[in-house]
Amino acid sequence: MTDAAPAVFVALEQSGFAAAIRQSPWLYPAANVGHIVSLTLFAGAVAVMDVRLLGGLAATAPARLLGRARAFAVVALLGMAVTGCVLFSAEASHLVLNPAFQLKVVVAAAGLINVAIYELWGRRVVERLAPGAAMPARAKIAGMLSLGIWVVVAACGRSIAYF
Amino acid sequence: MMRVFLLFAVFAVLTSTAFAHHGWGSYDASKPLTVTGPIVTSKFENPHATITVQGGDKLWTVTLAPTSRMNTRGATEKVVAVGQNVAAYGYPSTAVKDEMRAERITVEGKTYEMR
Repeated sequence: MTDAAPAVFVALEQSGFAAAIRQSPWLYPAANVGHIVSLTLFAGAVAVMDVRLLGGLAATAPARLLGRARAFAVVALLGMAVTGCVLFSAEASHLVLNPAFQLKVVVAAAGLINVAIYELWGRRVVERLAPGAAMPARAKIAGMLSLGIWVVVAACGRSIAYF
Repeated sequence: MMRVFLLFAVFAVLTSTAFAHHGWGSYDASKPLTVTGPIVTSKFENPHATITVQGGDKLWTVTLAPTSRMNTRGATEKVVAVGQNVAAYGYPSTAVKDEMRAERITVEGKTYEMR
């Protein structure tokens, strides 16, 4: 525990919830495994979506492929959020000051903003396209950004242990 | 299409190297030391059990292993309880003053590997 962190994070780390996570022999490791399993599922689903938005897998109907992959991505994102909250609570005061964690939060937020922008301004156009149709620039940009952003988020996550 | 596969390959390489290794980065393995003394505080908690040890005039924070591994190796909560005398061999932190990460600890003549 470090007192240098904002009080709310110190309080979270000192809460009974966080103590229970640290004192359980299996909860923290289980959350760790769950976080990585969710990440692999998320990375796979997002990669399929991004490749489609960039014009790959062109024989498939965009709406159908993206719809299926989106369901997996949403479940995986929820899995990462839940397990991430468990991992974060146990060490909140340290993590909030960790530069790799701070960068991860900012870049993940950028990733979610990219998703929101695509859902608002790209999705309708893209999901009306027939198989083989050329992707509009906004889809390609969203796909390119997504691919780059989530790689950086994953790399930041792994880097937390080294800072 | 080629570009898409290239991007995918970069994605795969980056994520695989990111997962390849777990960190001892902020500990100086070229300056191993042994801290010997009584255990002052003991936290048998995840992600790593930690104890503080009165080694001479310094109070060392000694980072041990995850609790499940501690139990598997026999270094249970009782072994690293407050008041026990411990000799911890490990590496000093390059980031936190008077903190070290133990490679192994010896309590009552028995040595427990932490890695």
